[in-house]
Amino acid sequence: MTSTPTKPQPRARRLLATALRHPAVVPLGAVVLALLIGAVIIAAAGLDPLTAYAAVLEGSLDPRQLDYTFSVWGFICGMALAAAIPLRMGEFNLGGNGQMVLGGLTAAWVALNVPLPGILLVPLAVLAAAIVAGGFGALSAPLATRFGIPIIISTLLLSPIAVAVVSYLLRFQIGEAGSAVAQTPRLPEQGRMWALGDLSYSNTGLLVIIAMMVAFYVVDSRSAVGFELRVVGANRRFGAYGGVRVGRLAFGAMAAAGAAAGIVGAIIVMSSPYRLIDGALISPGYTFAGLAAALLAGGRPALIPVTAILFTILQVGGASMERSADVPRQLSDVLQGVVIVVLALRTVLDQRRTERSSA
Amino acid sequence: MTPPLAAAVTGESPAPAVELVGIGKRFGAVVANDGVDLVLRRGSVHAVMGENGAGKSTLMSMLFGLLKPDSGEIHVDGVPVQFDGPLDAIAAGLGMVHQHFRLFDSMTVADNVVYGAEPTRAGLIDRRAAAARVRELSERYGLETEPTAVVGSLSAGARQRVEILKALHRDARILILDEPTAVLTPSEVTSLFTVIRRAADAGTTVVLVTHKIHEVLAVSDEVTVLRDGRVTGRFATSEATSASLVHAMTGREIDEVRNPGTGTTGAVALEVDHVTVGDPRTPAVHDVSLTVHRGEIVGVAGVSGNGQHELVAAVLGTVQAASGRIRLLGEEVGGRSVRDRRAAGLAVIPEDRRGEGTAVTLSVAENVTLGHHRTAPIGASKGLRRGWMSIRAELARARELIADYDVRTSGEQQPIGALSGGNAQKVVIARELSHGAPVLIAEQPTQGVDVGAIESIHQRLLDYRAGGGAVLLVSHEISELLALADRIVVMYSGRVVAEFSAAEATTARIGAAMAGAAEAAAAPEAAPDTAPAPADTPAPEPETDRTP
Amino acid sequence: MQIFELSFVAAVLLAATPILYAALAGAISAQVGVFNIALEGQMLWGAFAAVAGSYYTGSAWGGVLIALLSTALFAVILAVGSARWKADPIIIAIGTNLLALGLTGFLLRVLFDVSGSFSPRGLEGLPKMGFLADVPVIGPIFAGQTLLVPLAFVVIVAVGLWLKATPAGLRLRGVGEHPDAAASLGVNVPSFQMWATILGGALCGIAGAQLALGNVTVFTENMTAGRGWIAVAAVMLVAGRPLWLPLACLGFGAAEALGFRLQGIGAPQQLTDAAPYAITLVVLVLTRIRFARSRKVSV
Repeated sequence: MTSTPTKPQPRARRLLATALRHPAVVPLGAVVLALLIGAVIIAAAGLDPLTAYAAVLEGSLDPRQLDYTFSVWGFICGMALAAAIPLRMGEFNLGGNGQMVLGGLTAAWVALNVPLPGILLVPLAVLAAAIVAGGFGALSAPLATRFGIPIIISTLLLSPIAVAVVSYLLRFQIGEAGSAVAQTPRLPEQGRMWALGDLSYSNTGLLVIIAMMVAFYVVDSRSAVGFELRVVGANRRFGAYGGVRVGRLAFGAMAAAGAAAGIVGAIIVMSSPYRLIDGALISPGYTFAGLAAALLAGGRPALIPVTAILFTILQVGGASMERSADVPRQLSDVLQGVVIVVLALRTVLDQRRTERSSA
Repeated sequence: MTPPLAAAVTGESPAPAVELVGIGKRFGAVVANDGVDLVLRRGSVHAVMGENGAGKSTLMSMLFGLLKPDSGEIHVDGVPVQFDGPLDAIAAGLGMVHQHFRLFDSMTVADNVVYGAEPTRAGLIDRRAAAARVRELSERYGLETEPTAVVGSLSAGARQRVEILKALHRDARILILDEPTAVLTPSEVTSLFTVIRRAADAGTTVVLVTHKIHEVLAVSDEVTVLRDGRVTGRFATSEATSASLVHAMTGREIDEVRNPGTGTTGAVALEVDHVTVGDPRTPAVHDVSLTVHRGEIVGVAGVSGNGQHELVAAVLGTVQAASGRIRLLGEEVGGRSVRDRRAAGLAVIPEDRRGEGTAVTLSVAENVTLGHHRTAPIGASKGLRRGWMSIRAELARARELIADYDVRTSGEQQPIGALSGGNAQKVVIARELSHGAPVLIAEQPTQGVDVGAIESIHQRLLDYRAGGGAVLLVSHEISELLALADRIVVMYSGRVVAEFSAAEATTARIGAAMAGAAEAAAAPEAAPDTAPAPADTPAPEPETDRTP
Repeated sequence: MQIFELSFVAAVLLAATPILYAALAGAISAQVGVFNIALEGQMLWGAFAAVAGSYYTGSAWGGVLIALLSTALFAVILAVGSARWKADPIIIAIGTNLLALGLTGFLLRVLFDVSGSFSPRGLEGLPKMGFLADVPVIGPIFAGQTLLVPLAFVVIVAVGLWLKATPAGLRLRGVGEHPDAAASLGVNVPSFQMWATILGGALCGIAGAQLALGNVTVFTENMTAGRGWIAVAAVMLVAGRPLWLPLACLGFGAAEALGFRLQGIGAPQQLTDAAPYAITLVVLVLTRIRFARSRKVSV
C-alpha cells in the first residue's frame, strides 16, 4: 500500500476502524456505494443523476402514490421472506418465481371454483396457495439431502418448470375463453382480498404479509426451530453434532419459503385486477428485489422491512424516473445488482486488514 | 553418553546439512519451542522424538518454512537462511512428507511427482520423461511404484512413496518425514525403513519425526528428544535404550497425579460392541469393543489418528458404524439420529472445538444453549408452549454457567470466536456437563487449555464420575489419563491393543502400547509384559544441557 | 426423410452451441474450485455486447471480439472478488446476473433508444457456412450454421487437451482438486482461479455472441432465458470431466430442438419450454442415485 508521507494519526485510524466494524455500516455502505455507482452510470449516459434520483423519490413517496408503494413493499417483503428463511440456514432459494406463480394459480382456482362465502373463501384460497407452493418449495430439500443437488440449483431448475406449467394451464386449460391474453376470468367478489378503507392497492393482503414478517421475527428469535436455523447457518457441523436434524430443518425452511412466495402470489391474484394473468406475477421482478432485500439484511428478520423499503423505492420510483428524468427504469435492476455485488465484495476490507496486520 | 552435537565431521563437507540454533516460537501464551538446537549430520537418519504437543511439528514447520521462528537461526550447509515459505525451503534442498498427504487423487503417480516442476517438450508435459524420472528415482531409492497408476486407487503406503518421490524429484537433500508410519501396515513400515536407510546411504539427510520408540531404535543414527518445547535428550541411537528414551520423553519432574478411584462402579452405561467404522478394507476403527460403567472413567489412550475420533463420531452418530452395535444404558442406538442418542443420555465434548464444538460467529449464550433449547428452563417451561424458548431464561442460564465455570468473557452476548481457547473450551464443557447425561464422552478436553483451567476441568470430570456418570475420556496425554481414569484402553491403528487397570497403568506401559509395542504381542493382555521398560527400572539421566 | 433427420441434427447443434460454450466456462471454473453460477448473466452481457459491437463496427466478427473481451472484463468482478478477496462467489454471481439483466436493458434504451429488442436494419449476423451446402450429410447439418458451431467442439477438445497435456493445465486441475497441495508446490492458487474465471467470461461472451448473432440476429432483453442455468446443471452433471460436456449439452440441445419440433406439430410452447429444465433435473437425479446410496445417514 502506498501511503502519504505524513504518518496517519493512529487514534483517528483506530476510531475509523472501529466505526467500520459496526454492523449497520456494511448494508449502509453498500447502498451508498451502489447509489454512487448508479450516479456514475446515469451521468455516463449523459443524464442528470440528481434529477433521476429526485424523480425516484418523488415517484415513490408522493402521498398519492403511497397506497401503491405500500402494496409493492408488501410483495417485496413477502418475497424477501421466501429468500431469507432458507438464507438463515445458509441456503439460497432462487425459485421464488415458480413458487409465487403456483400460489397464484392455486388461489385463483380456489376463488373461482369453491362456492363459499368470502369470509371463508379468502382464507381458504390463501391457505391453499401456501400449501401448494410450500410443498413445491420443499421438494428441493430431499433433492439436496438425498441426491446432493444443491438447493440453489434445484430451485432454479424447478422454477421455470412451474412457470411454464402455469402458463400452459392458463392458456389451454383454465384460462378465460376467447381472451387474447392468457388469463383467468375475473375472480368473483367473494374471492377478492378485503379492502382496507378506500385504498385501491393496499389491502388486507398487506396485513397478511406484515403478520408473516412478525411471525418470522418471533420464530427466528424465540423458537427452537429459529434457533436451530441460525445455528446451522453459522456452522452446519456444530448443528449436526448438537443434534439438529439438518435435513428436516431444510425441508421446513424450504416449505416455509415456498409458502411465503405462494401467499404473495395469492395476494397479487386476489387484488386488482382480480385475475391471474400470464407473466404478470413475474415481470415486476419481486422475486429478485426480495432476494436483494434479504441479502442486504443478511437474512435478519428485523432488517428486512427496512432493506425492502430501498428496493421498493427503486421499483416504484423507476417508472416515474423514466417519465420525468428520461432515465430507463432498468436502472432499478442495475442498482439491485450493484448493491448485491458491493455487499459481497465487502470482504476486501477484511483482506486489507489481514494484509496490513501480517505486513 | 556423548551428544553428537559438535557436528561429526565427515570426509565430504565440514558443515552439517542443517543446524538449528536456539530456535524459539510461541503462540500467544503457549511456548511451543524454547531454545531448541538441532544438528543434522549429512547422510544420517536423525529421529526427532517427543509426545504429542512436545513441539516437534512446530520445529519442523519452521525448518520447512511453514512458520517463522521468533528467535534463533537456521543454517543449511553452514549458510544462514531465512525461509519466507516452503518454496524457499524446497529451493534450499529440503523436502517434507506430511502426515496428511497432499496428493491429487485423480492424477497419476507421475503427474503428482512432477506437478509444479514438470519436464516439458514443445510446451507440453513430457510424460515419457516424467515416467522415466519416476522409475529412475524409484529404483535408486527402492521406492516401488507404478508411474501410470492413479493415486486415488493406491494404498496408504504407496501414496507415501509418491510423497517421498515428490520431494526427491525436487532434488531434496534433506528429507523430513512427519510421523511417516502412522498410516502404514507393519510390512509397509519395514519397506519404508529400507528406503530411509538407502536414501541416507546415498547421502540424503533424513529427519524422522516420531513418537514411537521402536522406530527410533530400528532406523535412526541419532535422536533428539523434545518435551514441552525443549530438548531433553540427545543420543547416538547405538547408545540409547527404550528406557532412556521414555525417560527423556515423559520426564519425572511432574508428580503423577494418580486417580484415587472410587472402587464402586455401577451398571454398564455405554457399550461398544465389535464396532467397525469406515471402509471395511481400511477401517478407521477395527472391531473395537469396550464398556463404560456408571461411576467409572475409562480412558482411551493413543496417538492422534489411531481411530479414537472416528470411534467417538460413531457413538455420537455423526458417522454411522459399518458394523457392530452401540448401546446406551442398555438401549441399542445404532441407526438412530444424533438427537435421539443425546436424548437417550449422551453428552460429548468434541475434539475439534472450532469446527464442531462451537459456532464461532454465534454468542457465548447461543453456544451454551444448543441442545438445551428444547428443555427446561429455556424451552418447555412454565407458560411456554412446546418449541418456544425463553430468551430470558437462556441468558440467565448462560450467565450462571459463565460464573460457575469461570469463563472470561465480556458478556454472554460476545461471539465465542473472540474468546481464548481455554475459555471457549469451558463453554463447551459447561454446555455438555449441564446435560447431566449418564454418559459423557470427553475428547481431548484439555487441549489448548492453560494449566489452571486444566485442573478445574479434571476436577469437573471427577465430580461427574462421583455423581454416577460414566465417562469415556479420549486423550493423547498419558498424565491426564493416569490422573483420571479407572481403566485405560490403548488404541493403535484403529484397534484396542491394550487395557490396563488404574493400578497396572504406568506412563511407560501406556507409552509403549501407544507406540505400537504391543502389536507384536499375540493378545492385548500381553501388552504390559512387552512394554520396553517398566518405570521403576533405573534409567540413565538424560542429557538436558541445552548449551551447544 | 433423411433431410428431416439431418435438419434435426442441425437444430440440435444450434440449440446446444451457446450452452456448450457457457458450460465449458463453468467447467473450467469448477476445475479451479470456483462454483460459477454467473454464466447466465455473462452470456446475456455477451449477447448484448455482440449485437452492439456488430452494430458499431459493422462487422459480425467485430461483435464477437467485443463480446469476448467485454465479457471477460465483466467476469473480472467475480474473478477478483472470489479469488483475491475471498468473497462468496454465489452472492457475487447473483449480483452480476441481476446487473447484466439491468444493464443490458438500460443500455438498450440509452444507446439505441429502444426497449425489449434491438435489431436495426443492416445488423450484421455471423456468416453461415453456405459453401458446405452441396457436401452430402455435412451440408444439411452445417451449411446453415456459423463457424462458431464447429469451433465449439474444437475449443472443447483444445481445452481438454490443454488441461491434460500442458504444465499450466495440470497445475490448474490441481488447484481445484487440492488447493493446499498445489500451493505447497509453488502454484499461485488465487491467480489460477482468477484467470480461469476470466477465461470463462470470454467463453460466455462467445456463447452470447453465437446466441445473438448466430442463432438469430437480434438482441432481446433476457434472451438467454435460463440457458446459463442449464449450463450450470451440465457442469454438475459431468462432475469435472469436461470432455463429457458435449454429450450433456447436446442432450439439452436435443430437448430444446425437439421442443421446437413438437411445437411445429401443435404441442404447446409452454410445455416444451419446460422440457430442458425437467430433463436436466431428472438426469441429475438419476446420476446422483449412487450418491444417495453412499450416504444412508439419518439426519
